[in-house]
Amino acid sequence: MGRVLITGGSSGLGKALVDLCVERGLAPVCVLDIDPAPDAGDGKLDWVFHDMADQEAAPWAALSETLQKKGPFDLVILNAGINATGRFEGIPLATHLSVARVNLLGPLRLVHMLLHAGLLAPGGRLVLISSLSVFTGYPGAASYAASKDGLASLARALRKPLRKSGNISVQLVCPGPMDTPHAARHAPEGARADRRIDPARVARQILELPHGRFVLLPGPGAKLAAVAGALFPQIMMRIMGKVLFARLK
Amino acid sequence: MKDKLIFVTGGGSGLGLELVRLAWGRGYRVMCTGRRGVQDLPDDFPDIPYLCCDLSSQQGAQQAADWALGQSHGRIDCALLNAAAGYFRPLVAETATSLSDVLALNLEANMILAHRLAPALDGGTLALIGSVARKGAAGMPVYASSKGALDGFGRALAEEWRGRACVRVLHPGPIATGMAARAGRKPDFADRLFLSPRAMAHCVLDAALARKGADRQVISYGRVLFHPARLLRRGAT
Ligand SMILES: NC(=O)c1ccc[n+]([C@@H]2O[C@H](COP(=O)([O-])OP(=O)(O)OC[C@H]3O[C@@H](n4cnc5c(N)ncnc54)[C@H](OP(=O)(O)O)[C@@H]3O)[C@@H](O)[C@H]2O)c1
Repeated sequence: MGRVLITGGSSGLGKALVDLCVERGLAPVCVLDIDPAPDAGDGKLDWVFHDMADQEAAPWAALSETLQKKGPFDLVILNAGINATGRFEGIPLATHLSVARVNLLGPLRLVHMLLHAGLLAPGGRLVLISSLSVFTGYPGAASYAASKDGLASLARALRKPLRKSGNISVQLVCPGPMDTPHAARHAPEGARADRRIDPARVARQILELPHGRFVLLPGPGAKLAAVAGALFPQIMMRIMGKVLFARLK
Repeated sequence: MKDKLIFVTGGGSGLGLELVRLAWGRGYRVMCTGRRGVQDLPDDFPDIPYLCCDLSSQQGAQQAADWALGQSHGRIDCALLNAAAGYFRPLVAETATSLSDVLALNLEANMILAHRLAPALDGGTLALIGSVARKGAAGMPVYASSKGALDGFGRALAEEWRGRACVRVLHPGPIATGMAARAGRKPDFADRLFLSPRAMAHCVLDAALARKGADRQVISYGRVLFHPARLLRRGAT
C-alpha cells in the first residue's frame, strides 16, 4: 500500500487511523483537518489545513493543487464528521446545516475533486466512514443520521463505476458507538463507556479490510444491531427512540 | 375532514402538479410553492395560493416556510415536500455548484421547512418524497446520496415526532414526468414502463394521508399498478 489520505485526524477514529498508519510505515500520512498539526509529527504527518464545510471555491482549488503534489492516493479515508444531538427543533438550523455540510457535502466535493484531478490511484481504496445509524436509525440526531445515510447511498452508487473505471474499491464503514470524545459528548446520560468499541480496533479492521469487501460493521454488537435493523427497521427505530432519544431530552 | 389543508412544494409541474390537482379535486384546501412563475403554470391550474421561489437557496426555503405559516394561520394538516432535482451523470461530471445545489434542494430545503413548520404540523403529517434511487443508483450518485440522506432524516424525525405528528418518507419508483430526461438520461425502451404521474399521485397522497403506515414506504409498480383508483376507473388514471 502506498499513499494515504485521511480527513479529520486529530481525535477519535481519525487519530487512531493516523497513528496506525504511521506505526505500519505508511508515512507520510496526508491529513486534512481544521485543527493544528500535533507536535510529534517529525515528517510522518503531512498535515493540511482544510475545512470540509467550506463553501467557497478558492480553498478547494488550493487543496486540489496541494494534493496534486502529494498524490495519487492508494487509500483515502473520509472520516471527518460532526454530530448534533437533541430534539430536531431544539437544535438551531445553522447547526443542522453545518452537520450536513461537514459530513456529506464536504465528502461529495472532496471525492469529486479527487476524481477530477485523478488523485485516486488505480487499484486503491476509497473508504467512507458512515454509521450504524444507516441500519438502526438515529432519532435525536436527525441531521447526523441524514448525512450518514447520504454517505451510504453515495458509497453504493459509486461502487460499480469506480471498480470499472480504475479497480478502485469503495468501502462503507458503519461503526456503532466508539470510545471516542465524540461518543462521550453525544451519548445519552448513563450510557456505559466500556460498552463502546475501541477506535484502535476499528482502525485495524479498516486498514486490514480486503479490497473486495464492501461493508464493514466493526464488532459483534454492530453486526447484530445491523441485522436486527435490516430485518425489523420499525422495531429497531422504536428501540432507538426508547434507549437513546428518550434519554437525550 | 375535507377542509384539511395540504401544502405541496414543487407544485407547478411533474408529480407535485398532479398532487395539487388531485388534492384540490378531492376537495381539500391546497397551497403550493413552485420554481416557475405564475405565468408558466398550466391554464387549468387550480385557483389556490401559489408562491414562486427557488428552494435551492437557504433564503428561498425560509421564505417558503414563512409564507406557508402565514397562509395556514399556523396549522398545516399535511406537507408534501416534493420539489427535487438531480443529474443523470457520473460524479466526476458534476461541478462544485451542482453538488451543493442538489443537496440544498433535495435535503437542506426540506430540513429548513421541517424545522420552521414543526409547530404547524402538530397533529398533522410531514411527507417527504424520496426516490428508489436512494438505494444507490449508479447513474445518478449525487441524487441517490441526497435521497438517501432525506431517508435517514425522515426516519429519525418520524421517531422523534411519534405521537405528536406523523412523518413518512415515501420513495416513488420511476415516473413519466420527464424528470429522467431533464436529468440527462437518454430515453430508451424502459421509459415506456415509467409510471403515470397521476397514478403515482393517487398512491402518494393516499400513503401520506393514511392513518397507519410505515415510516419508510416504497411506492413503485406493485402499489401503483394495483391501486384501487386505477382498477376502478381504467384509463382515468
Ligand atoms: N420522475 C421520477 O422518475 C421520480 C422517481 C422517484 C422519485 N421522484 C421524486 O418525485 C418528486 C417529483 O419528481 P418529478 O418527477 O415531478 O420531477 P420534476 O418533474 O422534475 O419536478 C420537480 C419539481 O420541483 C421543482 N423544482 C425544481 N428545482 C427547484 C428549485 N430550485 N426550487 C423550487 N422548486 C424546484 C420543479 O419546478 P419547475 O417545474 O417549476 O422547475 C418541479 O415542480 C421529486 O422529489 C423526485 O425526486 C421522481
